[in-house]
Amino acid sequence: MKNVRIWFTKEKECKYISHLDLNRCMLRAVRRAQLPIWYTEGFNPHPFVTFPLPISLGIAGKRECMDVRIIDDSYDITLIAEAMNKYLPEGIRVFDATYPQYDPKYICFASYYAEIEVDGMTALQLQDEIKKLCMLDKLTILKKSKAGMKEVDMLPYVKEMALGILGDVCTVSVTLPAGNTKNIGLPLLFKAIENHLNAEINYNIIKLDMFTESMEQFK
Amino acid sequence: MVTQLIKREVEKLLLKVQKPGRYTGGELGSIIKDKDKVDVRFAFCFPDTYEIGMSHLGMKILYSQFNSYDHIWCERVFAPWVDMEELMRKNNIPLYGLESGDPISEFDFIGFTLQYELSYTNVLNMLSLGGIPLLSKERKDLNNIVVAGGACTSNPEPLADFIDIFFIGEGEEVDLEVIELYRECKKNSKSKDEFLRLASQIEGVYVPALYDVEYNEDGTIKSFTAKVNAPQTVKKRIMLDMDKSFYPENFVVPMVEIVHDRAVSEIFRGCIRGCRFCQAGFMTRPVREKSKDTILSQCKLLCDNTGYDEVSLSSLSSSDYSDIVGLLNTLTEWSDKDGVSLSLPSLRVDGFTDDIMSKIKTVRKSGLTFAPEAGTQRLRDAINKNVKEEELLNTCHVAFSGGWTNVKLYFMIGLPTETLEDVEGIAKLGQAVVNEYYRCETRTKGRGVNVTVSASSFVPKPHTPFQWEAQDSIEQILLKQNHLKESITTKKITFNYHDSKTSYLEGVFARGDRKLCRVMLKAAEKGFRFDGWNDCFDFDAWMEIFKECNIDPDFYTSRKREFDEILPWDFLSYGVSKEFLKRECEKAYNSQTTPNCREKCSNCGAACYKGGVCFEKR
Repeated sequence: MKNVRIWFTKEKECKYISHLDLNRCMLRAVRRAQLPIWYTEGFNPHPFVTFPLPISLGIAGKRECMDVRIIDDSYDITLIAEAMNKYLPEGIRVFDATYPQYDPKYICFASYYAEIEVDGMTALQLQDEIKKLCMLDKLTILKKSKAGMKEVDMLPYVKEMALGILGDVCTVSVTLPAGNTKNIGLPLLFKAIENHLNAEINYNIIKLDMFTESMEQFK
Repeated sequence: MVTQLIKREVEKLLLKVQKPGRYTGGELGSIIKDKDKVDVRFAFCFPDTYEIGMSHLGMKILYSQFNSYDHIWCERVFAPWVDMEELMRKNNIPLYGLESGDPISEFDFIGFTLQYELSYTNVLNMLSLGGIPLLSKERKDLNNIVVAGGACTSNPEPLADFIDIFFIGEGEEVDLEVIELYRECKKNSKSKDEFLRLASQIEGVYVPALYDVEYNEDGTIKSFTAKVNAPQTVKKRIMLDMDKSFYPENFVVPMVEIVHDRAVSEIFRGCIRGCRFCQAGFMTRPVREKSKDTILSQCKLLCDNTGYDEVSLSSLSSSDYSDIVGLLNTLTEWSDKDGVSLSLPSLRVDGFTDDIMSKIKTVRKSGLTFAPEAGTQRLRDAINKNVKEEELLNTCHVAFSGGWTNVKLYFMIGLPTETLEDVEGIAKLGQAVVNEYYRCETRTKGRGVNVTVSASSFVPKPHTPFQWEAQDSIEQILLKQNHLKESITTKKITFNYHDSKTSYLEGVFARGDRKLCRVMLKAAEKGFRFDGWNDCFDFDAWMEIFKECNIDPDFYTSRKREFDEILPWDFLSYGVSKEFLKRECEKAYNSQTTPNCREKCSNCGAACYKGGVCFEKR
C-alpha cells in the first residue's frame, strides 16, 4: 500500500461545484478508471480519498490535490492522470500524481490571483481605493466562527499583495493563511473591502498554489 | 477576464444564487456542436429544477437520440429556481440552453416534457423568461416552434392555446419525423401554417390550432371538429420492438447531486395489471419487453461510460418482467464483478420473493416500499389492485427475516366508492404489518420496526376507467385524513399525507378543457411558477384567478360525468377503447376484478398495435 497525491485543476464550469459534489465526481472517476485504490471496509465500501485543502465553491484552482492509497505497490502512478481524465468533466483535469512530501497539516498559505471590478468605478479608481484601505490601521469584518460572530482585522493576514490593471479590471495577487489552523478565504477579504467601499465587487478568483509555513511549495 | 465558456453576464450572477452548478452546463457527457453546422436546434425544456429534470429518463433518451444526428443539436433547459429567475429578470438575461448558453429564442424548436400538471405554469414562465410570446397565434414565423410531449399530453387541452404541436405517445419516431418535416419546410421557405398543417398529417401529432371546440350551455363540450384535413382522432405512437428502439449509451453526468443520480435501464414499457386508477398503465399499453441481453449490454455500456456504480431497473412494475429471476441472475453475474449495485423500484407486493430479495440486497439496504393503495380488500378489488392482505404480510415477513426494519406503504384516499371504513382499513393494515414484524422469529434482534404509511389524494385522470368520476372535495379529503390519523394508535407507524389543495388544482388541470387556457395565461401574467413546490404554491391566489376568469374549478373536479358526455380528450386514442374503460368502471362499482394481460386478454383494444404482450403465448 502506498500513499499517492493526485494533482488536478478545477476550472471553468467546475469551479461552481461544491466540495461535496467534487468529492462525488472524483469517486466516480476513480472507480471507473479502475485504479487499484483502497476501499473503505465499512457498511458501504467506497474508494478512500481525502482532500488536503478543500477549495470553496466559486473559486478556480490551478493546483488542487487529493490523497488516495494505492494497494498495488507495483502500480505505475504516472498512468493515473490519463486514466482518470476520461471520466472527469472538462473543467477538472488531473495533471500529475506524486508521492506526498508533506503531511496536509503543513499547509499554511495559499496564493491567489483575482480579477475584480465594481460597477461605476474604473479599474484605476478601484485600485486606488484598495490601496487606501490597506494603509488604514485596521480593515475589519465580522466573521462567523464556532464561538459566534467575531470581528476580525484582515490586514495582518494579507501577505504580499500586489495590485495591477488589466484592460478594464483590477488584478489582485495575494497570499493568505490557509489550512487547518488559520484559514482566510479571499472572498472574505473582498467582503471587507466591499463593506468599506459600500459597493459590490464582481470577482473572479483563481487559487494558484499552496505553501508551508516557510513558504516552500506544498508537495 | 479569464476565459470561460459560461457567458460573462451569467457568471456574474452565479455566486449570488444557491447551487450555481445548476446553471453552468459543462458536465461529462454533455454534447457540444458547432451551431453553424447544424440545421435544427432543439431546446429540450424540463419545466422544473435541474435536479428533477436531469433525473428524467425520457429526456436522456431523446437528448442522445436527437444528438446522434449530425444536423440536429439538442440542448437542455431547466426552470431556474426563484433566486436565479429574479436575477435573470433584473439583469435582462434570457433563458438559455445549457450547452451553448444561447437564448432559447434562437432555437428552431422549444420542446417541453409535461410530466405533471402542476408544472404547467413553469412551461409558460420559461417561455416568458426566454422572451417568447406565450400564445401560439402570436408566434407567426417558422421558428421557435413550441412542442410538448410526455404523460400530460393525455389531456393537452389546458395548454392548447400555447403549444404549436403536441406529440402523443412515445417520441422516438414521431419527434424526428416532425423535425425532418421542419427541415424540409425551412429549406423551401414554407410558412408556419403550412408546416403545422403538414405536421398534423403525421400519426401521433396533435396541432390544437386545427380543431374547433363548441360548448353546450352547461359548459360541457358540444362538438370537437377537425379543420383542414387534420385527423378527427389522433392516435398515439409507440415503439413496438424495444430491442431495436434507441437507447442511450451515455448519460450527461451531473456535477451537482440530482434526485436520481444513477444509471437507468428501462426493462419494459407498459403494464399488464390494469389498476383502474393508474393512468400510466392504460396509456402505455401494450406491454413490450426488452430482452435480457439487450438490458445487460445497455447496463454495462452505461456504467462504463458514466462511472455510475448503481443501476436502477425501471418500468411500471419491475417484478412483472416475464423472467425477472433470470434477468437478475444475468445482471448480478456482471454487477457483482464490477461492484455495481442494482435497484428495483416499483416492486409489487406479490412480486417480492426470496430470490429477488437476495439479488438486490447485495450492496445496499435501503427501505422497502410497497403500494397496497387501499386499506380493505373490497376497495382493492374495486380499483383492481389485486393484492391480498396475506400477500402483503407474507412479503413483509420475507423482508423482516431478510433484515429490513423499515417498510413504506403507499395508499390513496379519495378513491371512488371509498367509505370511512376503507380509510380505517389503512390504519389496520399498517398495524397488521407491525404485528407481523413481532411475529417474525428471524427478525433483526434488538431493533424496532418502522412502518411509514403515506396517503396521497386520488385525482381521477383521463384515459382511465375513473375518468368520469367525481374527485373528493378538499373538505372530504381533510375529513378522511383526520379520520385516518385518529385510527392510528401506535408510534411504530409514521403517517404522511399529501396536501389536498395541490391535489385539487392538479385535478382541475388533469381533466380541464380549453377554457382553462385563459386561467393559465392570467397565472403566467401574474408570474406563477413552481406550483408543485410548497414554497411557491398559493392556493388562494389561484382561486382568485378562477374567479376573475369567471370559471368554477369545481366543474372539473367534483362533477361526475355521464358516460355519453364528450370529454375534452376523447379525440385522442391510446389504443384502449372507451367501451373497455366503461366496462371497467362498472366492474369497479361491483368490486369485480379483471385478470392481468398475461392471465387473460380482456379486449381493451391495445392489440391494434399488433405487438407486445397481446401476441405472447398464454
